[in-house]
Amino acid sequence: MPELPDPVVYAVPAFILLLLVEMVVSLRADKSRYEARDTLTSLMLGTGSQVAGALVGAAVVGMAVWVHQFRLFDIGLAFREWWWAWVLCFFLDDLAYYVFHRSAHRVRWFWASHVIHHSSQHYNLSTALRQTWTGFFSLGFIFRLPLFLIGFPPAMVFFCAGLNLIYQFWIHTEAIRRMPRWFEAVMNTPSHHRVHHGVNPRYLDANYAGVFIIWDRMFGSFVAERDDEPVRYGIVKQLGSFNILWAAVHEWVGIAKDVWHAPWRHKLDYLWREPGWSHDGSRATSATIKARWAAGLPVEEAAEQLSRHPGLDPGSPSFTAMKRDPGSSPG
Amino acid sequence: MTTAFWIQTGGSLVAVLVVAWLVGRIGLGADPRIADAEHAIRLAEEAEAGFGGVEVARDRAGFAAIVRNAEGRMMLVRAHGNFFAARPVDASVIGRLDKDFLTLTMAERTFGAVTLHLGKEAGMWASRMREIARA
Repeated sequence: MPELPDPVVYAVPAFILLLLVEMVVSLRADKSRYEARDTLTSLMLGTGSQVAGALVGAAVVGMAVWVHQFRLFDIGLAFREWWWAWVLCFFLDDLAYYVFHRSAHRVRWFWASHVIHHSSQHYNLSTALRQTWTGFFSLGFIFRLPLFLIGFPPAMVFFCAGLNLIYQFWIHTEAIRRMPRWFEAVMNTPSHHRVHHGVNPRYLDANYAGVFIIWDRMFGSFVAERDDEPVRYGIVKQLGSFNILWAAVHEWVGIAKDVWHAPWRHKLDYLWREPGWSHDGSRATSATIKARWAAGLPVEEAAEQLSRHPGLDPGSPSFTAMKRDPGSSPG
Repeated sequence: MTTAFWIQTGGSLVAVLVVAWLVGRIGLGADPRIADAEHAIRLAEEAEAGFGGVEVARDRAGFAAIVRNAEGRMMLVRAHGNFFAARPVDASVIGRLDKDFLTLTMAERTFGAVTLHLGKEAGMWASRMREIARA
C-alpha cells in the first residue's frame, strides 16, 4: 500500500500550544475550566489510546487493504489528477463518522468504547485527547469499510480520517462562544459540540457530527445550544473517579456484569440496545430521562420537545404520572 | 514497535506530566462546595431527572450531602474535582456512625467512601437510611 504521512503526528505541537493558550485564557476567564487530575486523566487516556492504536494499526490497515481488493471503482492517489476524489473521500468519510458516532451513542457495545471520551465533567482541549483504548475491540472500524469497497485507496481514507480528527480538536473548548452564522450553519463548532457533550436532558443524544454539522440537520439529530441553559458535561452517571483504567473499561465491566446476570433471552440485548436499557426497566435510557424532564416543562415546550424527539413516549407511566402531578416533576 | 514509537510515547508521557503539573501550578481549578439545601436538591435533580428532593443532610463543610425525596429514596452528592458526582444510597452503604460523623462506603470502589459531618442529625439519617433497606 502506498504510504502517506499521518497528519495527526504533525498536528501534535499545535495541539500542545493551543492547550497552553486555552489554559492561560481560562486563568483569566474561568479557573474551573481546568482541574489538574482531570487533565492528567484525559492526557493519559490520550497517550494510552495512541499505544492501543499502534498495537492494532497493522491489523486495521491489513483489513482495509483486503476489503479494497473488492472495490467497485479504481481511484488513484495523485492529488492533481484525483482532487475531486480527495474532496469526495473527505466528505464521505465524515458521513461514515456521523453514522459511527450515532451508533456509538445508541448501541451499548459501541458506547462502551466511546464513553471514555465523554467521561470528563470538563470541556476543554484536553478532553479532545481523551480517546478510546478499545476502538479496535469494539469493531468501530467497520463503519469505514464501505469507503474501501467504493474504491477509495486506504491511504487516502486514513489521511482524510486524520484530518477529520485534527478538525475535531479545536471544537472542544468553552473559550469560543459562537462562530459566524454561515460557519455555524455548515460546520461543526465549539457551540454545537458542547451540546453533544451535554448531560442536560435537552442536550442528550444530539449533534453527532465530526466536521460538517449538516448531517445532524439532515438526519434530525441537531440541537442548538441555548444561552439560557448552560451545558453540564460528562455522562449521565458521572464517574466520580480519576482512575484512568476505570475510565477506560468501566462500561465493558458493566456490560459483562449485566450479561452475566441477565436472563438468557435478554443477554444479547445488553450488547445492542441503547445505553441505560435494562430488561426490567429499572434503569433510565436517554428517552426515559427526556420524558421525565419534559413532564416538568410548560405544556408548549413539552409539545415542542416531543415533536423534536419522537423517541419520547408521552404514554409512558413516568411521563403521564408526572403530568398529573406536576409537583413531582423536575424543576 | 519501533524505537521511534517508544521515543514518541516517552516524550508524550513527559509532556502529559508537565501539562498536568502546570494546571495545578498556575492555580487552575476550583474548590466546589454545596452551598445550602437548595443547591443539594438541584445537584440531585441534575444527577437524576425527576428525583424531586425534599430534605437534605448537608456536610458541615459542604463537601457532600444526602438528599431524600418524597418516596423516601436517598441520593449522596459529593464534590468531585471541580464538580459533583452522585449515587443512590441505602442501608448497604453505611460504613460507620461515629457521633456527629456518618461514613458511607459505596460498593463501587472507585467512587470511594464519603464521611459527612452532620452534627446531631448523623444518627437520625443513618436510621432513615436503614429503613430504606427494610422497605
